[in-house]
This record gives sequence, structure tokens and C-alpha cells, in this order.
Amino acid sequence: MERVFKTIAGILPLAFAFAFLVPVISQGMQALGIAAPFGLSHLAFALIVGGAWGLFAQVTGRWV
Amino acid sequence: MNAHPPSLAIDLSSLSEPELRRLELKIARKHSGRVPWIAVVWAFGNLAVWIALWPLVISGVVPIWLASPVAVVNLSLVYLPTHEAQHDIIARPGTKLRWLNELVGHATSWMIVMPFEVLRVTHLDHHRHTNDPDLDVDITSSATGPWNAIWRAIQGRQPAAKRNQDYLASLVRNGREDLVVLSLLYRIGFIAVLGGLAWNGYALEALFLWWLPYQIAMTYIVFFLSWAPHHPGSHRSRYTNTRSWKSSVGNIGSMGMQFHIVHHLHPYIPLHLTPAAYWEMRPILEARGCRLGDN
Repeated sequence: MERVFKTIAGILPLAFAFAFLVPVISQGMQALGIAAPFGLSHLAFALIVGGAWGLFAQVTGRWV
Repeated sequence: MNAHPPSLAIDLSSLSEPELRRLELKIARKHSGRVPWIAVVWAFGNLAVWIALWPLVISGVVPIWLASPVAVVNLSLVYLPTHEAQHDIIARPGTKLRWLNELVGHATSWMIVMPFEVLRVTHLDHHRHTNDPDLDVDITSSATGPWNAIWRAIQGRQPAAKRNQDYLASLVRNGREDLVVLSLLYRIGFIAVLGGLAWNGYALEALFLWWLPYQIAMTYIVFFLSWAPHHPGSHRSRYTNTRSWKSSVGNIGSMGMQFHIVHHLHPYIPLHLTPAAYWEMRPILEARGCRLGDN
């Protein structure tokens, strides 16, 4: 059980990114009427940006 | 909470330590021992307003730009009633209203994603080890000035922040490893709720009613409850590890923390009575060489 909790605790930044950050970016862009670059959908763009930011936080231990 | 100084200019420096202690305790007892109903109403009123914002915003009755600042105020106001409960000020163990003390703590602390028992154990540890660089759970909030304090508060919420490790160490030191798992469950629950809302089309509501207000509120709380009253965070003795000071946003704007020194000396005095206790106690604090501001 301890191992399960440690594993979950270890991936919280990534979990936060995909659970929350990605839809926030996607819906935020839609609300502001901002188109995603390179013909990407809002969600695809949000997955790239949110996923990269989550990976950064996961690796470095900080969001900012 | 805005008290005016009725304190008399009395020189008590000739009194002995037991005499000062006796006078100090007499004042502290005078301002304690009653149920601070204001904290109870504050806790549940604040909770009710914040919960009401959700259906009002989702149904379009209240615009999100108006609701979000209210949510910031709500999240900022969560901590102080739980703080009264952490110190058993609403009702001590074994008394008739003990359930209410615990209810105030448990029913509201989840809004700031912290189990009440974690707040209690770690905060009491802060009182035991104030400004100790190794044992004070809040030592990471010490900073060189206000802007640095804001930045340090933000840094304290990063995934690999030392503050997280300090809180964890405090729980282990106090034999409450069980609370480590509970803290993690609160964190997972927070992400699950935010994620559930976001993936169902309510990402901006979750962002502006909870996540962002939470971030602003925690910075504000750490600034005024942790950094300002203990600054510069290097004094360790009972009478100097906290201070009184005059806040540019007043006593209400600084959440009653101008008189935090009285809270550390006598943590059973309710928040709303702390200013009155301070003004009465001030000559004693002066005689003891406390760090007192211009208020």
C-alpha cells in the first residue's frame, strides 16, 4: 500500500497537468477566441503545452 | 478587530518576573474562556457563500468575473476559524461543545486542501519550535522583505518544496504518519474534483472559483500569518519570537495578525479579543523587552 501511495505522490504534477491544466488551456483558448497554431485543435495544442509543462514540473519539482 | 490604544504609559520594568507573569496571566484569562461564536458563524457562513457560488456561476446567474474575487475572499477566510479550532478555543476536549470545535475544523479546512488534523499537529509544532531553522514547519516563509515573502510563499507550494518536507517531518516527529496518507488523499481528491469539472466542460469555473483563489489565498495567508508576525524569523525566545506591528492594510486586512505576539504567548485567547488583550498587556510586554511596533 505504501508503494502505491508513493507512486501516486510521485506523479501528481503529471496527473494535475492532464487532469486539469490541459482542459483549462483548451477551454480558455476557446473562451478567448484564440485559434491553435499549425492547424491543431484546441485540445491537441493544450495536450502539447499542458503535457510539456507537467513534464517540466514532474522532472524539476517546480511549476515556476 | 481594529482596536484603539487604551494602554497606559506605565513603567513596569521594576517588577519582578513572577509579578509580571501574574499580571500577564490575569489579563490573558480575562480575555479567554468564552465561546467565540463569531468564529463559528464566520466558518459556516464563509463555507455557505463559497458553495453557493458554484451553482450561481454554472447556471449563469452570477458572472465568473464577479464570483472569482468573492471566492478569493472565501478561501482567504477559511484558515482563521480552523486556527481557533486547532487551539481548542471554540471548545476544549471534554467540554459540551467539543463537537462544534472539531466540526469547524473538519468542515472547512478541505477548502484549502489540508486535513484539519494536519493543520493542528503542524501548527502546534510551529508554536513549540517558532523560528527554529530545523524544527519550525513555517521557517521557509521567512524572507528579506514583502516581495521576497510573496515569492517564497509561491515557492513553498511547488512539488519539491522544502516546506512539504518540513510538514512531513513534523507529522512523523509527532507520531502521526497516518496523516501523511490523509494529506495525499486530500491532494488526489483536489485534482480529481478539478479534473472531473474540467473534463465535463467546467474548467474555467474550477480555475476561477477554486484553483486560482486557493493560490492567491494561500500566498496571502502565509504572508500575513507566517511571514509578517515572525519577521525576520531569527528570534527564538518566548517573548521575542513574534512581534506586533502596524500593517498598512490595517488589522482586518492583515487578518488580526498585528497582535500575533499575544497569540503566541496565550494561544487560548480568541482572535477577536487579541487586540484588547494586547493593549492591556502592552506595558508588561514593554517591560519584558518584546518587539513592539508603532500600533
